[in-house]
This record gives sequence, C-alpha cells and structure tokens, in this order.
Amino acid sequence: MKKYGVIVIGGGPAGLAAAESAKKAGAEVVVIEREARLGGILKQCVHDGFGLIRFGEKLAGPEYAERYIDEVKALGIECRTLTFVTGIEKTQGGFVVHCVSRDGVVSFEGDSIVLATGCRERTAKQVLIQGTRPAGVFTAGTAQNFVNLMGKLPAKKCVILGSGDIGLIMARRLTLEGAEVEGVYEVKPEPSGLTRNIHQCLYDFDIPLHLSHTVTRVFGTDRLEAVEVAAVDGGMRPIKGTERIVECDALILSVGLIPENELAESLGVKINPFTKGPDCDQSYATSVDGIYSAGNALNVFDLVDYVSECAASAGANAARGDKDGKCVTLSRGAGLLSYVPHRICLDKPHDKVVVFFRSAKDMDRATLRITVDGREVFKKKFAFLRPPEMQRLEVDFSAFGLGADSELGISLEEN
Amino acid sequence: MDLKSVRNKVLRIAPEVTVEEYRGCVRLTGELDSWDKIYRCGVAAVTKGSLGVLNDIRLKGFSEKVKTPSLADDALEGARPDVLVVGGGITGCAIARELSRLDISVLLVDKANDVGTGASCRNDGCIHPGIDLHKGQAKLHYVLRGNELYPEMCRELGCDFERWTQMFMFSTWWERFIIAPLMILKGRLLGIPKVDFVSRRKIKQIEQTPPSWFKGAVRMGSAGVVSPYKVTIALADNAVMNGARISLNTVVTGMEVRDGKVVSVSTNRGKVYPALVVNAAGAFSDIIADMAGDRTFTIHPRKGTDLILDKKKAFYALSSFARSYFAPLPKEQREQGHEAVGHTKGGGVMRTVDGNILVGPDAHEQPYREDNSTDLDSVNAIIRKQKNVAEQLSAGDVITYFAGVRAATYEEDFVVRKGIFTENVIEAAGIQSPGITAAPAIAKDVAGWAKEMLGAKEKAHFDPVRPHTPRLAGLSAEKRADYIAANPDYGEIVCRCEEVSKGEIIDALESPLKVCTVDGVKRRVRPGMGRCQGGFCSPLVVKIIAEHEGIAPEEVLKGDEGSRILFGDTKHAEVEQ
Repeated sequence: MKKYGVIVIGGGPAGLAAAESAKKAGAEVVVIEREARLGGILKQCVHDGFGLIRFGEKLAGPEYAERYIDEVKALGIECRTLTFVTGIEKTQGGFVVHCVSRDGVVSFEGDSIVLATGCRERTAKQVLIQGTRPAGVFTAGTAQNFVNLMGKLPAKKCVILGSGDIGLIMARRLTLEGAEVEGVYEVKPEPSGLTRNIHQCLYDFDIPLHLSHTVTRVFGTDRLEAVEVAAVDGGMRPIKGTERIVECDALILSVGLIPENELAESLGVKINPFTKGPDCDQSYATSVDGIYSAGNALNVFDLVDYVSECAASAGANAARGDKDGKCVTLSRGAGLLSYVPHRICLDKPHDKVVVFFRSAKDMDRATLRITVDGREVFKKKFAFLRPPEMQRLEVDFSAFGLGADSELGISLEEN
Repeated sequence: MDLKSVRNKVLRIAPEVTVEEYRGCVRLTGELDSWDKIYRCGVAAVTKGSLGVLNDIRLKGFSEKVKTPSLADDALEGARPDVLVVGGGITGCAIARELSRLDISVLLVDKANDVGTGASCRNDGCIHPGIDLHKGQAKLHYVLRGNELYPEMCRELGCDFERWTQMFMFSTWWERFIIAPLMILKGRLLGIPKVDFVSRRKIKQIEQTPPSWFKGAVRMGSAGVVSPYKVTIALADNAVMNGARISLNTVVTGMEVRDGKVVSVSTNRGKVYPALVVNAAGAFSDIIADMAGDRTFTIHPRKGTDLILDKKKAFYALSSFARSYFAPLPKEQREQGHEAVGHTKGGGVMRTVDGNILVGPDAHEQPYREDNSTDLDSVNAIIRKQKNVAEQLSAGDVITYFAGVRAATYEEDFVVRKGIFTENVIEAAGIQSPGITAAPAIAKDVAGWAKEMLGAKEKAHFDPVRPHTPRLAGLSAEKRADYIAANPDYGEIVCRCEEVSKGEIIDALESPLKVCTVDGVKRRVRPGMGRCQGGFCSPLVVKIIAEHEGIAPEEVLKGDEGSRILFGDTKHAEVEQ
C-alpha cells in the first residue's frame, strides 16, 4: 500500500488549505472527499464577501473555493472524490483510513491525518420545535442547496428561525428568488449573525427581525401550513399568551452549527465542551498523536479566511509531524465563550501563536488578559466585541517563561 | 350482563348520559363537554357478559378533519377480490401475506401513500414477552404465538430481529423480594419462557450503565426488537410478490350490507365486491366495523410519544429496561397528574434494532384518531421521567421524537374474531400495543378462518422469501467490495450519518410495493434517520428519486399527496433557461 505523509479528510475550504500547505511542506498528500466535487459548503454559497482577509478582495464562495482547487491541482495533490471514510485504524507507524467509493473498498495509509470534516446544522427537533412532521421544514443549508445548486424553490412564503449567517443569507436569497420571507425570529435578545449580514440581508429588503422570539410549533400534515411563534423570557422560555400563528409554507432554521467529529471521537480524541471540536494545541494537534483538526470541525468559524489560515497551519504541522510534548493548558477564565488553542505545547514553536476567541456576550470595550501563575503577561484592548464575531490575535507565548507546571490562563474583562 | 350496575357507575360520572343494551353491547349516548369524562364513562361501561362498549357519546363542538386522498378514479371499480383487507398497518400486511399463501385473490387498501404509516411506524418495535398480560386475554394468546413466529418470519423477510432481553428493574428491596418472585411465578403460569432474576452482580455483565438505585431485575429472555415499519413493508412486499394487490391512496367510504352480508365496499377508486372483508383499520377499525354492521367495540385513541437518541449514546442500554412502578418515585421526581396511568408499562429505555436508544413512550387519551403531533410537555416529561432509568440522559442526546396513536378499545383487548352480525367479515381490530408482536399470530388465525370460509386451498408456489440487499455498512470489507463491483452505486454514500448508498436507495425504489417518496425511502433504507436528520442527504435523495422515476424534483413527495418538497424553479433558474 502506498504511504502518504498526510491524509486530509474533507475537501472543503479547510481540507484544501491543509492539503496545499502539507504538500508545500514536503509531504505526500491525499484528500478524501465524500461529495462528487471539491469545495465543501462553499459550492452553494453563491453570495460574495469571502476572501477579504485572505485575498484582499470580495469573492463568491465558489470562486474562493476555485482558487484553492486550482492550487491543489497545480501541486498535483491526489484528490479522491465520492469517497467516504468508513473508519480509521491506528497502526504501529500511523493510520489506515478505510473508505468506500464507486471503485470498491479502498484504504489509505498515512503518518498523520487532518480532520477537516466541517460541521452540520442543528435541526428543528434539536431546538424542541413541536407539532406535526410536514414537508417544508428545512435547515438553512438544505434550503440553500435546493436554491443554489438545484435551482429549485423550497418555499413560497417562509418564516426563518435563527439569525445565524446562513439564515440571514437565505432570507435575502429567497427574497431575490421570488419567495416571501415573513420574518426572521431570534430567540436571543441580540442577533446571532454578522452585523453586515443583518444590514445587507434583512434591513435592505425590509425583512423584519423579531428578537427574543422563537418558533414553538409547526402545523400541517402534508405540507407546512403555519407556525406558532412566541416571545421568550430571559431564560429563552416561551411566554404564555404571546403565541401568534403565522401562515407560511416553509420554516427555515438557522439555529446553530455543530462540528462533525464522529471520526475524531472514534479515535478517542478529546472533545472540548465549548467549541464542540477537538481540544488542540497551537499546531492544531489533537489529544491523539498524529491527528490534527482544522476548520469548522475544530471550531465553528464565521469567516472562511480564518478557516483557511487555521487549516493551512494544521496541514503544515501535520506534514512536519512533531510529536506531542510538554504542554501547558490554557485555562478558561471569565468573559469567553470559546477559544483555540486549548493548550500550548512547549516543545513546538510557540512564539507566533494565533489565538481565535469569541466573547461570551456583547462588550463595548474589553480587555483580553493572559496570565501565568496569576501574573498578567499579556493584555490587549478590544472594542465592540460580539459573540458571533470571532476575534483573532497573535501572541508570543515564548516570552512568558512557561514551564511544564506553569498555570496559564486567558480571560476577557469588560471595561 | 349487569346493566344496572354499569348504569350506576356511568351516571356517577355523567348523569346526562343514556346507558342501554344494544345487540349484546353496552351503548352510551349523549353529549359531554369533556373528553376525559367520555373516556371514563367508556371505561365504566366495561362489564362481563357484554360483547363490548359502544361509546357514542359526542364531544361537544368536536370534529376531526380526517385525511382522505383527493384521488378519485375507477381503478378498482367492479373488482371482485376474494378478500378485501382494509388497512395496511402491520396487522393488515401480515394478514395479506398469510392470505397470499392461498389460491385466492387478495386486495389490500390503505388511504395513505405507503403501508405502515400509522401506529405501525410510530412505536418502539419491541417484541414483547407478554409478562404484563392476563389469562383469557386475546392479547396474551397472540403475543405468545407472535413472539415465537418472529425469528423465522424475519429470516424469510430479510428483516433484522434481535432477541435483546427486557428487564423490569427494582429500586427497593421489598420489590426485589416480593414483586420479583411473583413476576417469575406469573411468567411460569402464563407460559412465558426464559424469565429469570438478575442480581446486582449479574447486571454488570448485562448493562454498561445500570441505574444507581438498581436492586435487582426480572429479565425476560424472550423479548426482542425489530424495526416495525421495515417488517410492515417487508410483509407487504412479500404479499405483493405472491400475487396480493395493494392499492394505496385508497379510502373506504362506505359498505352496502344486505341480509347480514357485505355486498359491496365503496372507495374513492371505485366500488369493490369482495367475498370477504377483513377489518384491520387500526385507529379507524370501529368505524369500518360499523360500516360492516359488526361493531361491538369503540376505539379511544391514546397517544404516545417516543424520543430517539443519537447512536453515540447507544451505551445507555444494551437491552431494554424500565423501572418498576410498584414503588413510588421519590417525591421530587413525580409528575403531576400527567399520565394516563395503568395502560402503558410506563415506558422505558431500549435499544432499537438499528442501534439508536429509544426513550418512552408515555400515554395520553385524546379524541383525535390522527393527531400524531408532539408537544413540549410530553417531551420534557419523558426526559425527566426516564432520567431515573438512564441516568446520563440529557435533552442534548435527542435527535428527534415522534408520536403515535394506539387503537385502544375500552376492554383494552384485541378484537380478533369472525363477524358476529355480518357473516363475511373478519375483525382484526383494536390492535394496539403489543400489536407488533401479535401481528404474525393474528394473521395466521385470520387467514385460517378465511381459508375455511372461502373453502380455499394452499397455493402451490408460495414464496416466503423476500429477496433483499443486506445493509451494506454492516458487511465485511470483502462482501461489501463484491456488491460494489457488481453495482458501483453501492459505493456511493448518500446519507453520511447512516452510511446509506445510492444503490440501496435505488433498490428501495424498485421494491415489489413501489413507493417513491422521501419518507418511503427513509423507512426502507434509512437515509435521513441519523443525527443530521436529512440535512445533508435530502436534496440528494430528492434528486435520485426524480432521476429514477423520470419526474421533476418538484414532483417528488415527502409522503402523502400534497407533501411536495419543492415549488419549481427559482427566478434565476428560469432566466438561465
């Protein structure tokens, strides 16, 4: 069996960036993609706004993907599409990835693996919507697939639950494609999506946004006929007496994304309870030697540019294949919703560590602090932090005099 | 029958109700404004020596918009089947298959766009041992026989069947020392095989995470699990293979009964002239019996809700188990007047044949026969209650939930008999839990009676085996490779969560009973049943169905007519064309 340096699972933006950098770092690389085409979810993201950071220009999703696909092809990286990973086996010297494809049952042997498996959408039942089970209840991504890839309209008049970015994008898209969007309902008191999307997708099209409201029930036995919406209290519980019936033929949900880590879990990779992706160090190495995680499988990002950056780093590190060494856990302090990395490996370069984080709530002005043994070693001020908008900064951890038994902490304070 | 005492009991609940004897039944009439009262009157009217309760008390202001297909043609006009089976649930389909062993013509009608869309696809698929039943009940007779018939029947039909045990767990020492021996004795008296005691030491070999309060359990080794809708579909497929005709989207609208005989049956697809009618109409079986002039019972719909957990949580239960209800729950865990106690074993936690954990069901009386909607109170109550059993259970484990309606009679027993007032009808009615277990045995009796009534003979070439593709994800690499070599579509995975290939979906579309809907495919081979609930695969499944059937994607249905998923081209697609 041919042996690869790096096996990349997933041919979306993370997988492609990881493959490119792993190849450039000298590894023999194979990309395994279950769909017929590379590009992942970007294939159906026909709106623009991708690539401002990475390429300095606004690209549509497929254009952004195309740049990486072209590069991967130019580098001669082997890409196996319509190939589905059924299991990963740990061996003496690395891993064997078992797959099925139209060619049969195939296996790939490699030293390291980058898991770039993306994320999935939460469903109506997972947010406890009740009632019947008619046609017409879609996650935003599914609706986007129908509209943008199949050219078919899944709604004539719809209600959107959740103000996540895909929901907002779909509100605009469906309006442009001839459907009516009755309104966007958000259970939280503030929107979940990027501010620019609230303006460009809702306000510019006069679509009302109902904050602190949710959909509680769907009606209709064959096709959706109506939904029940209600205001919610501080604990996000529906308030009795505020229910209202909205007639519509579709309910579109943008109620959160969950990193897909079933493969990681099967390998015993430790999952972080806040990101729902693997615990990782600054090289994106997980708790299992040789397994790296990148992109939305690691941590749901809001900008693809950051996905690419993190994945490129994961790919290069996977190619180098440094073993895990002495690590210091980066402990979670107040004010943070989530962050990566979760630990700093002292045996790996740690002078230019990229830290991604989200604030736990809206903060007009805040200070991010890193402490070693209770002593502040780093601080940076931020303005207008919002949980939906991930922040990025570079930190030189090598300057902090870290030892294996140092207590390293990160926190965010509003001021 | 002691009508006087029945009348006293009923009038105590609702003095305005009229209680009378009608053809050997207790009949209640009048109008009340509470379903709970109507239900309680029905229960109070059960008495020895009566054929059953005809509870015709109307609920004030109540009407249910019952689904009927809009289709109207004459596809069945003038048909003269030897047997007409009304209802394509597991009972009707099992009967149709048994009848297809005979040299007669069989027509099964169901008003939905598939078989098994009622209670048969809305239950936990448990093959019951029958320990909760009583001597003299039709239920006990059919459950014991049905249970025995399952392994062989599933082998023939190519359905998964597992003898995973059921345990009734005790949280107190007195239950362990009093209830446990009594249950084991009862098992012996009822003739239930393999009932034994599980100690605290032994439980560790059976379950990975037994409840902390576990003091012992009675284990029923004859319990099992199947996929109830897959078995229903397989029975229908095999019946069709053997010459039975199944007409979907077909609703029975009336019957002409003359001189104690059904002469004709009206449907939306024409008038049928059967020699014999079998009533397997589930939640509507009292209405069908009434049309046939043979009603001796009343269905009072009882809804139950079940939750399905992510396969990752499969370690919660390796078998199926429930907490004994003899000892009360600790005060803080008690539900406030929520459950119709007594007519469910209280639900529990079980592993389905497909490897998910199923939690529930509960039980609620309701006037609606077709209201399968779920509600938050039930879902939350089930989570709270079963957290006592699967102690790690949390709302985050739940990937989906569903509700179904049990076709309960007031006698809480099956009505499986030849017609009393109408000679060419057979009732297989009031089949509720444990109806999945009972169906094969009910079918044997019904087919036996039909054979004798029609003077029919066994068919020379009945084929009990339904050819099927095994679930490829469960095969060895070598076997899977062979399948893919023969048909590369088996190597193209469409549903990532359940690992279902395009080839398996196309096989489902080419089944003997052809049903080309997204739900139909889902029930047959599982795309969309995983944790993403079809988020990724539903567009692909729509496309595969459209391509295979040569129709536009917007013509693909989710289930019944009117359940279109798409509304045609987008504006921009029109521009591009």
